Amino acid sequence: MSSTTLATKGTEPPAAGPRASTTPRRHRTRHAESRGAWILLAPYLALFLIAAAIPIGYAFWIALQKAPTLVNPASGFGGLDSFITVITDYRFSGTFINIFSVMIVWLPLMMVGIVGLALLVHASPGRFGSTMRFFYFIPGALSGIANFVLWVYLLHPTQSPLAPLWQEVGFGSLKEIVTDGNMPMILTGMLFFQGVGTWIIVVNGGLNGIPDEIFEAAKIDGANAWDLAWRIKLPLIRPWIGYAALMNLAYGFQLFLEPYLLRQISSGAIAGEWAPTQLGYAFAFTNRNFPAAAALSIILLVITLSIGVVIVMKSGLFGDEKEEKR
Amino acid sequence: MKTKRSLSASAGVAIISAAALVLSGCSADGGATAPEQTDSGGKITVWVDPPRVPAAEAFQEAHPEIEIDVVQIDGTVGGQTVKQAFANFDSAGSGWPDAIFFPSNDDIAWATGAASNYAADLTDLLPDVIDGYDPAVLSFCDIDGQIRCLRNDAAPDVFWYNKAFFDENGYTLPTTWEEYGDLAVEIAAAHPDKISGFLGDAYAVNRYLQAADCPTNDRLSESEVHINLDDPNCVRANELLSQMYDGGALTTQGIFDGDAAAAGVNLVMSPGAVWWGNYLFRDTWKIPAGQMSASAPLTWEGESSPTAGNEGGGLWGVSSHITGKQLENALTFATFVATDPAWQVELSTGLPGYGPIQDAWLAKLEADAYFADVPAVQQAFKDAAGAVAPYSYMLYDTGAAWTETVSPTLIANGSMSDALSTFGEELVNRANSVGYTVTAE
Repeated sequence: MSSTTLATKGTEPPAAGPRASTTPRRHRTRHAESRGAWILLAPYLALFLIAAAIPIGYAFWIALQKAPTLVNPASGFGGLDSFITVITDYRFSGTFINIFSVMIVWLPLMMVGIVGLALLVHASPGRFGSTMRFFYFIPGALSGIANFVLWVYLLHPTQSPLAPLWQEVGFGSLKEIVTDGNMPMILTGMLFFQGVGTWIIVVNGGLNGIPDEIFEAAKIDGANAWDLAWRIKLPLIRPWIGYAALMNLAYGFQLFLEPYLLRQISSGAIAGEWAPTQLGYAFAFTNRNFPAAAALSIILLVITLSIGVVIVMKSGLFGDEKEEKR
Repeated sequence: MKTKRSLSASAGVAIISAAALVLSGCSADGGATAPEQTDSGGKITVWVDPPRVPAAEAFQEAHPEIEIDVVQIDGTVGGQTVKQAFANFDSAGSGWPDAIFFPSNDDIAWATGAASNYAADLTDLLPDVIDGYDPAVLSFCDIDGQIRCLRNDAAPDVFWYNKAFFDENGYTLPTTWEEYGDLAVEIAAAHPDKISGFLGDAYAVNRYLQAADCPTNDRLSESEVHINLDDPNCVRANELLSQMYDGGALTTQGIFDGDAAAAGVNLVMSPGAVWWGNYLFRDTWKIPAGQMSASAPLTWEGESSPTAGNEGGGLWGVSSHITGKQLENALTFATFVATDPAWQVELSTGLPGYGPIQDAWLAKLEADAYFADVPAVQQAFKDAAGAVAPYSYMLYDTGAAWTETVSPTLIANGSMSDALSTFGEELVNRANSVGYTVTAE
């Protein structure tokens, strides 16, 4: 009796008896399954080790070394000295204020833009919706340098199609437009148009994954398009929104290329150490202080990791929520 | 469930955040001990910025027997890519080019510093070449008595002015800095679109503060520097710049700004390097021939001789990590690019640093017939080198400190004094950050 019950449950190892004959096969299956899982996981694990785990470990080790200085070229174990060097650097807090000043403008706009436009696209089926999706994607296709060149042109006070606007508000030269005070707005514009198209497609993918039965049931219950978007779609795509927030936030903390190039077009008016990653770069290659650069990397890792964990917990990213509810 | 979740969560986040570590991925401990000198048997690798590629090509033509790899590098003044490469080479103990054109003159500071020690001491390797230089021109290569580089071109400031404009309006050419300030304000009042100087480029610090002998780059020893923006010499520069900026005679743009040409054609006078003539006026801003001319550098009132800044004038270095045939070929290359007329006279836009070929280059100005008064320009170029105020290239980038503080402060409605005091603070911070002991005396 008891052995049958256990076996039918199928979750615990079956006891002795007639069923015992199935045990080896089951073990083989499990064994094959786990081997398959490991094979599928192997490329990721290899990349994770090479691109994340080993560099992180190495950065920790380097950060604990003592940097040679002009006066004292000796190196060795330095404990937490390099963290103190980083935190007490005269640019440290400024770089974080800089990226926060961008993120506070850009991230809310970005999230509202992604979700709002994705919901609109999803609510406009047929040719119109897919055409709009294509249009939104175009700026995203101009990634990296191409997007940047476009923006240099847009910001140019005499050649830009926006030139009358720039001159109206009193900007006569690139140096007057690309200033510290205008950086949050410029970067918001650059990052928004570069990213929003791609993320609309990702979130739209999430919306397409919702079974039609749910919408039909909601409509039968009297839901209009607004209710559908607000009460049905939005809660169901929360993991996708979380994912978008997480990736964009991580990008914000790693801003490097954009301020680096804006410095060049402003001919040096934007600080070379505008963002934390640029400060790390300066530690490594201007000051030749690799431990301080590694320490700054670790500080950034801890910050993004903490924020990431919070977002993952709150949004149910990775689909754990369903399992929990079971 | 909890365990699995936090595990997968942290793995996912870690891979995302890992990109933050890419920068430190190539890190290694500095302070590596100097490796043995190596000999490739003759083949050399040279690094040149884009304007110096023709120099390397001329060398290949003149010396087909020497096997050479020419690598074009990022030539941005104040750029960091070359520094980055050398930090990695120094850590790895290999990989250096055998000769290089340094993109920034500041590079000579790290290239001769204890952490790198890349640039070979040429004092005993190329004594004849060194003898051909005016010591004033080679002073930037003289590090504690050793000549660690060769000057590509001499870049002392002369006093540029638009002769056509001066003649038309009957202005008298200034000979002192004070007269320059007064006239600039007078011209700005009479001709509001005309300007008498640029503030927004990295060389402006040389043009005005070095020319005033203001201690921004006063090297006391390998680890000590004297910086003091309250020094009377800095105060006189501050007064001059304040007078001109408040009078509307200066622009916050820099000479290299992508949109500077519009202001450039309205420049009526300014101290500026000898290469401004061909590079800026003729080739970049396209000012018509027969307008611009130059006179000797300006003198500060109460002083007997003129003082000038120096804007660039690139430096060639040779690796200290090579020996034998490889070193011999690298020295042949350095000698060629510094002294051979095939490059220096025929192709280079700047006044050669190497003395014996300067006259041949100056003679070309007559054939070009670009300047309004060629004999005066030739004389001004010859006289300027001796007027350059002492200045040492340091591990901190003085030009970057200037561009990040001065124009941004002025654009944000600050005064010239605010701008210079912000600059002074930034300079001291930078000097401390790279490890110098800063003294104000």
